Amino acid sequence: MNYTFQFGVAFAELPELLKGAIITFELGILAFWGGALIGLLGAALKTYGTGPLRWLAGAYVVFFTNTPALIQIYFLYFGLPELGIRWSSFTCTLIGLTLNAGAYLTEIMRAGYISVRSTEVEAAETLGMSRWQQIRYVVVPHIAKTIYPALANFFIVILVMGTSIGAIIGVDELTGQAINISTENYRWIEMFVVVAGIYVILTFIASLSLALVGRWAFRVKAKVF
Amino acid sequence: MHHLQVKDLSSAYGPLTVLKGVNFTLAKGETAALIGPSGSGKSTVLRVLMGLNKPTGGEVLIDGAALDYSRPASVRAARERMAIVFQQYNLFQNMSVLRNVTIAPVKIKGRPRKEVEAEAERLLSKVGLADKHHAYPDELSGGQQQRVAIARALALRPQILLLDEVTSALDPELVNEVLDTIRGLAADGMTMLIVSHEMAFVREVATKVVMMDEGLVVEQGPPEQIFGAPKTDRAREFVGKILRH
Ligand SMILES: Nc1ncnc2c1ncn2[C@@H]1O[C@H](COP(=O)(O)OP(=O)(O)O)[C@@H](O)[C@H]1O
Ligand SMILES: [Mg+2]
Repeated sequence: MNYTFQFGVAFAELPELLKGAIITFELGILAFWGGALIGLLGAALKTYGTGPLRWLAGAYVVFFTNTPALIQIYFLYFGLPELGIRWSSFTCTLIGLTLNAGAYLTEIMRAGYISVRSTEVEAAETLGMSRWQQIRYVVVPHIAKTIYPALANFFIVILVMGTSIGAIIGVDELTGQAINISTENYRWIEMFVVVAGIYVILTFIASLSLALVGRWAFRVKAKVF
Repeated sequence: MHHLQVKDLSSAYGPLTVLKGVNFTLAKGETAALIGPSGSGKSTVLRVLMGLNKPTGGEVLIDGAALDYSRPASVRAARERMAIVFQQYNLFQNMSVLRNVTIAPVKIKGRPRKEVEAEAERLLSKVGLADKHHAYPDELSGGQQQRVAIARALALRPQILLLDEVTSALDPELVNEVLDTIRGLAADGMTMLIVSHEMAFVREVATKVVMMDEGLVVEQGPPEQIFGAPKTDRAREFVGKILRH
């Protein structure tokens, strides 16, 4: 062992790594919100849907939660061009992650729909609330509060684990940037120690903000770690 | 004229007919108790009055005007005249006590928030919860939650208050605080229809007792009559059973 650590080299690349971190955040947030919209719809179909629509939502969840996100993204990036559809590596990663997140979020949100207490809704009805007011003041806040901790956890999972898959097909997010730079300067260990540190900081910032929002908006006593 | 008149009211859950022609009346300021064995249809009567279950026949009249529960406007009118408190309180868990009480008057009736909040504070003091405005339902005991539910119903300024076994889900030591609240309302002249198994309480506050069995009213009259000298065999049997316990 005569390896000399040179962290200075890695720190010198911080600006480049932070560019990658921004792309990581972008991918994480876009995939999460896209997935959340799909999840809202999927959960509604699985809870209230009938026949083929309900079946379709079920099949979607089974397919995407039982195959690796990497395979889904590979399919989009390497498979679709055979059919004449060519998307950038960023687009393929985003779409893959979004579809994948949508499946998991369908299940998370379904738990929210199921947890709505029909008796509370009835009380709202007898107080004279219209259907829309019942949804706005009773149903949605209840669902939001119930699933908030699971949502917050899932966001961190996408942000840290999901987005880095993009590196494999050449997205210059945080991991991708680290690989690019390391192949030139050969400081793999230092680079990835620094990158791990940046991931921890990203996670910390995200968890802390989510915990504060949860506390403020839903009285959820979320743990930061 | 009767304040509330229920005439030949019937209702069903699917194929199961649970109200088979219910008749009773309620005068202004009266506290009527709806009693009878479990499953006799007491809750269903209240649910039909509030528009939660559809009647299949008969009439409900308030101050002589019939409500047509197939019309949304009539259902709204019913919910403006009457308010209900459930056995399980059914407070909105995501709202503070104050917001539970104010949301309907502010958002539905469109009354000014300041005015409604002042009234809510008065109501909360009246039910003994002046210091709990900012608490959330899961921070309160069952008895406290039930008193909030009563305040929430009163905030709508109903002409008639319906109470469905509001003490049945409570621990014994919490029953009295809720009954005291209801005693207070009766003394204030609130018109109430109370479903209750607390027979001693019914005898004390009710000005009228309506006894149901299997979807029908078997006898109605002042408590002295129902508990002291029931006229029908069915009433005598039921009273005998509950008074022995
Ligand atoms: N949601 C429901 N679905 C089907 N049957 C019901 C439902 N609720 C009540 N019932 C039936 O209706 C009848 C009257 O019930 P209810 O009005 O709750 O009686 P009570 O309040 O006097 O105990 C009972 O036979 C009960 O089993
Ligand atoms: Mg009942």
